[in-house]
Amino acid sequence: MKALNSRGMQAMVLLGAALLALPAVVHDTFVLRVLTEAIMWVGLAIAFDVIAGYTGYLNFGHGAFFGIGAYAIAILMMQGNLPFFLALPAGGLAAGVVAFIAGIPTLRLKGAYFAIATWALSRAIQQLALTMDMTGGPDGMRLTAFLNPQFFYYLMLITVGLTFIVLWYLLERAPFGLKLKAIREDEEGAKALGLNPTKLKMQAFILSAVPTGLLGGIYAYWITFIDPSSTLGDLVSDQAVVMVVFGGMGTLFGPAIGALLIFAFKTIFWAYLSDFQLLYIIILGALIAVSVIFIPNGLWGTLVRKKHDEVRPEHEIVAVAAPEEGS
Amino acid sequence: MAEPILKVNAVSKCFGGLTAVDDVSFQVHPGEIVGLIGPNGAGKTTLFNVISGYYAPTRGTVQFRGADIGGKPPYHLAGVGIGRTFQVVKPFAGLTVLENVVIASFLRHPRRADAERHAWQVLETTGLADRANISAAGLTLAGRKRLEIGKALALEPSFLLLDEVVAGLNPTEADKTVELILKLKSEGLTILIVEHIMRVIMNISDRLVVLNFGKKIAEGVPGEVSRDPQVIQAYLGEAPA
Amino acid sequence: MELLPQALCDGILLGGIYITIAIAFSLTYGVMHVIDFAVGEWIMFGAFTGFYLNKWTGLDPFIFLPVIFVLYFGVGYLIQPVIHRVLSGTKGNPFLMGLVFTFGLAMMFRGLALTVFGFYSNSIPSMFSEGAFSFDRYGVSVVIPTVRLVGLVYALAITGVLHYLLKKTNFGLGVRALAQHKDAAGLMGVNSKRTGSYVYGIYVGISAMTGVLLGCILSIGAQMGNDYTIFAFFVVVLAGMGYLAGVPWAALLLGLVQSIFMIYFDPSHTLLAVFAILYLILLVAPRGLFGKGV
Repeated sequence: MKALNSRGMQAMVLLGAALLALPAVVHDTFVLRVLTEAIMWVGLAIAFDVIAGYTGYLNFGHGAFFGIGAYAIAILMMQGNLPFFLALPAGGLAAGVVAFIAGIPTLRLKGAYFAIATWALSRAIQQLALTMDMTGGPDGMRLTAFLNPQFFYYLMLITVGLTFIVLWYLLERAPFGLKLKAIREDEEGAKALGLNPTKLKMQAFILSAVPTGLLGGIYAYWITFIDPSSTLGDLVSDQAVVMVVFGGMGTLFGPAIGALLIFAFKTIFWAYLSDFQLLYIIILGALIAVSVIFIPNGLWGTLVRKKHDEVRPEHEIVAVAAPEEGS
Repeated sequence: MAEPILKVNAVSKCFGGLTAVDDVSFQVHPGEIVGLIGPNGAGKTTLFNVISGYYAPTRGTVQFRGADIGGKPPYHLAGVGIGRTFQVVKPFAGLTVLENVVIASFLRHPRRADAERHAWQVLETTGLADRANISAAGLTLAGRKRLEIGKALALEPSFLLLDEVVAGLNPTEADKTVELILKLKSEGLTILIVEHIMRVIMNISDRLVVLNFGKKIAEGVPGEVSRDPQVIQAYLGEAPA
Repeated sequence: MELLPQALCDGILLGGIYITIAIAFSLTYGVMHVIDFAVGEWIMFGAFTGFYLNKWTGLDPFIFLPVIFVLYFGVGYLIQPVIHRVLSGTKGNPFLMGLVFTFGLAMMFRGLALTVFGFYSNSIPSMFSEGAFSFDRYGVSVVIPTVRLVGLVYALAITGVLHYLLKKTNFGLGVRALAQHKDAAGLMGVNSKRTGSYVYGIYVGISAMTGVLLGCILSIGAQMGNDYTIFAFFVVVLAGMGYLAGVPWAALLLGLVQSIFMIYFDPSHTLLAVFAILYLILLVAPRGLFGKGV
């Protein structure tokens, strides 16, 4: 995706302004909470797409970074007595450090093996949290309650907004994004062009981990209770994968839209069909399988392609008009 | 003659029990076009892979501008001025033609805007400017081979390794590519080229190096080499046992 | 220390079964180039099928093994064309997409299993469950439960049949050709779609059968698939990806680790230990224990 044209830019600014102004108009805390969570998932999805869609290294255990951030905050605040605003960056840092350590051996694996290795890692981390005393074991941890829906709404919005802006700059404007895509398309060939895949992959991996850790930290303080199954379980990782695959990998808008749609579906599903919770997982899995077969570029990707194909004809004409160029 | 830009010294490359390149030595001087020929399986692409950093030599050294480059990774070599194409062309299919070249341009032009400008120039040189914004997957074979060359050129190399950039093209396309190669030479580029299309490589090479079963069996100007009995036997002689 | 021989014994018995899964899994990867994320789920389904068949008919699960194989062979055979279609796609990276697809399948299966079977753990009873052999000599004392021994024998038999199939039949030749060079094999008349279907079917069938064995020896639960997927991956990476000869050793090692943890440490730490070893191996010897991996 090239630079947003001025119309797109205007739309984004308007959206941002609307979101910022929202709490002044909407006072229903339930709605605020739903929106906060929706924004959180958008952030998770776009962070995940850095390593998954742009670099082509799918991390099926991405939820681990979320959990690490959550637990880091919980431990630092409850046992280290750190104030939230000091603990939060530490949470992001923790996730980044884990990404670095885990990345060294796993990033040298080919894409498919990387997926399973990171998935295994996230399960091992969950296991760790279940058995360690410091993390409270299966009972999880409680944080001091700070109930302020507006605060968390803004915090989530600003964090995700900043993440979006930073990622948009790095991935769509700066060379970084294109270099990642080169690695995705042909890692060996990219080396001949001066790219160092190991370094770039590690950067992407850490870049995907840090915002996720931050969001996990905010989540912990917001919900005031975390346990291994909610923050380190399959659900976060699984949903991240669905959102990105269904929405469209390798773009920023794809995962964002995927996140919103899946989250909307989940909220409605759990509101009316909470007896069939497990059905939700089945549907998610089916959605992944179906997306791969019918819309491999995701919803957004397919839409963009259609628009691109409509624009193409002029290029065709130019090519045909100059036959001696050797079509 | 000027100091050689590339020195291959007794390089061997073994894979387990198989010796793909066996004690090969030769040099390339600045501004030359040296052709690397030999029957299929002679070890030409393996040698390319050693020179371009994809394989480390099992024995021997490779020196580029006097510095030992054996075992250095390909991205380092791109930085010191070696560009290469791949026999099996693999453009970055999910990206546009322009984006393909821009990525290579980043090496010398770290800023996006500069890289794009440079990439356009490269596309003009290689005749791909009219197809800049289509997906690279939509190019014909000729287009893809041009793109391969374009990407290597965008690195602004002083030494270019071309691996079968003419094979598979029709005569018109082949001639255009040859024109491009000669133009590059006239601009000072040194080229080591592997090619099976004899009329091409015989005509553009200043010198030839002939490999067979991993060993160098002849070296010299095309006229001499084409009369060398060992070379003739390698191509037309008995089939390998 | 007196328990060490027992741990070794248990490890070998368990490891033998893992060999079977790992070889089938490796084979599928070699032929279809897809890492089947659902391997654990196939094992799980097989285990549950064995459990319910035993419950409804009262017959020993070991008798059902061929039935389960045929049933799941059919399932695999029918699913494979879908996977093949994903892998033949031109958009994006087909192999990665194949993995995502099997990931989605695994998710579906897990959800399905949890819905139908609930969260409980169970074990499949068998006529062999009660007996055991005792070996008490030279200061070494081990107990070999019959069911484990029979399980091992069965697994080795399956491996033997698979070996025969691969090395001595035309079908096996086609499979090996396909694994080494898809296009060349195609040119020589190997029908990659049909062979792929057979291979996948065999792999699913074997996984399901092994699930029954594991269900008799250990336990079954709707979430057991997760662990076995990791185990399969562990074995394949340790052996060196694509290096089938390394599989038996890696499988035995896994069996050993698991048994040692069951006897000496907390079994719930097994996964951590497995992962720690995996991590170390990847760090130090990424091409597997024998350095022959890809």
